[in-house]
Amino acid sequence: MSVGFIGAGQLAHALVKGFTAAGVIAAHRITASSPDNDLITVAGLRKMGVNMTTSNKEAVQKSDVLFLAVKPHIIPFVLDEIGPDIEDRHLIVSCAAGVTIGSIEKKLMQYRTNPKVMRIMTNTPVVVREGATVYATGTHAEVEDGRLLEQLMSSVGFCTEVEEDLIDPVTGLSGSGPAYAFTAVDALADGGVKMGLPRRLALRLGAQALLGAAKMLLDSEMHPGQLKDNVCSPGGATIHALHVMEAGGFRSLLINAVETSCIRTRELQFLADQEKISSAAIKKTTLDKVMQQPGVEQGGGVGVRTAGVSLFNNRHKK
Amino acid sequence: MASDLSHLKIGFIGAGNMAYGILKGILKSGDINPANVTVSAPSINNFPRFQELGVHVIHCNGDAVSEAQLVFLAVKPHFIRTVVNEVLPHLTERHIIVSVAAGVTLETLEQLLPAGVETVRLMPNLPCVLQEGALLFARGSCATPETASLLKHLLSACGSVEEGPESWIDIHTGLSGSGVAFVYLFAEAMAEGAVKMGMPSALAQRIAAQTMLGAGRMLRDSGKPAAVLRGEVCTPGGTTIYGLHALEKGGVRSAAMSAVEAATERARELGRK
Repeated sequence: MSVGFIGAGQLAHALVKGFTAAGVIAAHRITASSPDNDLITVAGLRKMGVNMTTSNKEAVQKSDVLFLAVKPHIIPFVLDEIGPDIEDRHLIVSCAAGVTIGSIEKKLMQYRTNPKVMRIMTNTPVVVREGATVYATGTHAEVEDGRLLEQLMSSVGFCTEVEEDLIDPVTGLSGSGPAYAFTAVDALADGGVKMGLPRRLALRLGAQALLGAAKMLLDSEMHPGQLKDNVCSPGGATIHALHVMEAGGFRSLLINAVETSCIRTRELQFLADQEKISSAAIKKTTLDKVMQQPGVEQGGGVGVRTAGVSLFNNRHKK
Repeated sequence: MASDLSHLKIGFIGAGNMAYGILKGILKSGDINPANVTVSAPSINNFPRFQELGVHVIHCNGDAVSEAQLVFLAVKPHFIRTVVNEVLPHLTERHIIVSVAAGVTLETLEQLLPAGVETVRLMPNLPCVLQEGALLFARGSCATPETASLLKHLLSACGSVEEGPESWIDIHTGLSGSGVAFVYLFAEAMAEGAVKMGMPSALAQRIAAQTMLGAGRMLRDSGKPAAVLRGEVCTPGGTTIYGLHALEKGGVRSAAMSAVEAATERARELGRK
């Protein structure tokens, strides 16, 4: 089995790192395409032994399972480009937040009657094989395709199938979740530093506390409230601290965060659906956006770096 | 009424917690013969506790309906349509259909059911299973005052039963359906306060529960309004008034109002879908 990635950014890099560490697929059986050779992640992927290319077409041809790991607004253009190259064997797995299976199938059905499409929402801890992934199955994907995807994604963490309408809430919870955790650990470390700990130690201990707590929760059948009770000795330090957190509306903040992320995901999907741009303007707009990504050289603006940008043509430029 | 009731046949579609609580309350009065009650559900998992009550348990919704005059639809809202379509051939004008499904309006029910069938929408809450429920029902266009009296009588052992216009059902959901969870949250928080002050958690939780229960009974049975009872506990300069002041500073009243409001609004939203 060969795996391809359209897009060679953070997500592709994290997934490849996880897959190869898990031994579920060898790096040389992975091909990743990116218009820009100077991204850090591109270098990282190349170092891992992945076949790098600037041709999306090549990534398609060399893969059976094809991950679409580009930003949501790029998806339509990628689909138009690779549409003609999709074969019966291909399983298209979109990782783009807010992009529906329906919209992908609609695009691909211009080129193929039964495109096999699946949609995943994963998160960055796949890089250390502790990802949280959900997937939804498209109209023409078979049960075996689901099993294959689940096998792949289970190698890098938790993976389960869901109905597509749950993917936005999942984005809010575990998609954005690591960011909430990073913020929490950063702030906990600040607290440690305020009370006298060296920063490095404070960060290490803060992260370990979260890791340990999460592991306890996942391993036990107990409700988190009960686990919390077990830590809080009567009149002790922890219950005093928890009171302060409750007074600050801690729980409500977390609920709000998940809700906001979910709503924003839906908003972005809605906005994407509304976009009606002329095809000439699309090329330039996308090019601009690609150029604006971090790590991309701003070599005097758009038009200067046309070499290597292969979103809209199949000719492999060097 | 008593002699009528000994011949009254009742059917339940669904064998979950609500069906159980309602049935238990109905049987408590002693007016209904368990042999005249049939409960239908797809799986046998829930049957044992119903069988203990002496009622019939079957896997056929149609039969539960055709045997009965009074039928409780106690299935999850998204099954209502399917169930009603299934039992349609067995329904006649002598049937009284009581739906317990959240968010399913009388209008929807009356569209699904044959004309002339009496329809009632009932909103219970979970403590029904312990016969301490708060129930509110609204009559559909064909349901008669006699039907209302019958229901009030039958359901009286479930807890409190009130009748109201349909517009109150969503409010009842917010206040009493979801309300039990608000009370659980408050109890949890009070117990945490006790833990902070030095009491072991398990004990604090038991005492918090009993405090809720005792206060609840005094609220219900004393005949005095909550504000008066509150005043009676507050000795001048004593512990309670200090604690209450902390609650007021925390904006608990506003939060409680907002909670009921939010739950009610959501019930309305779901009912519109």
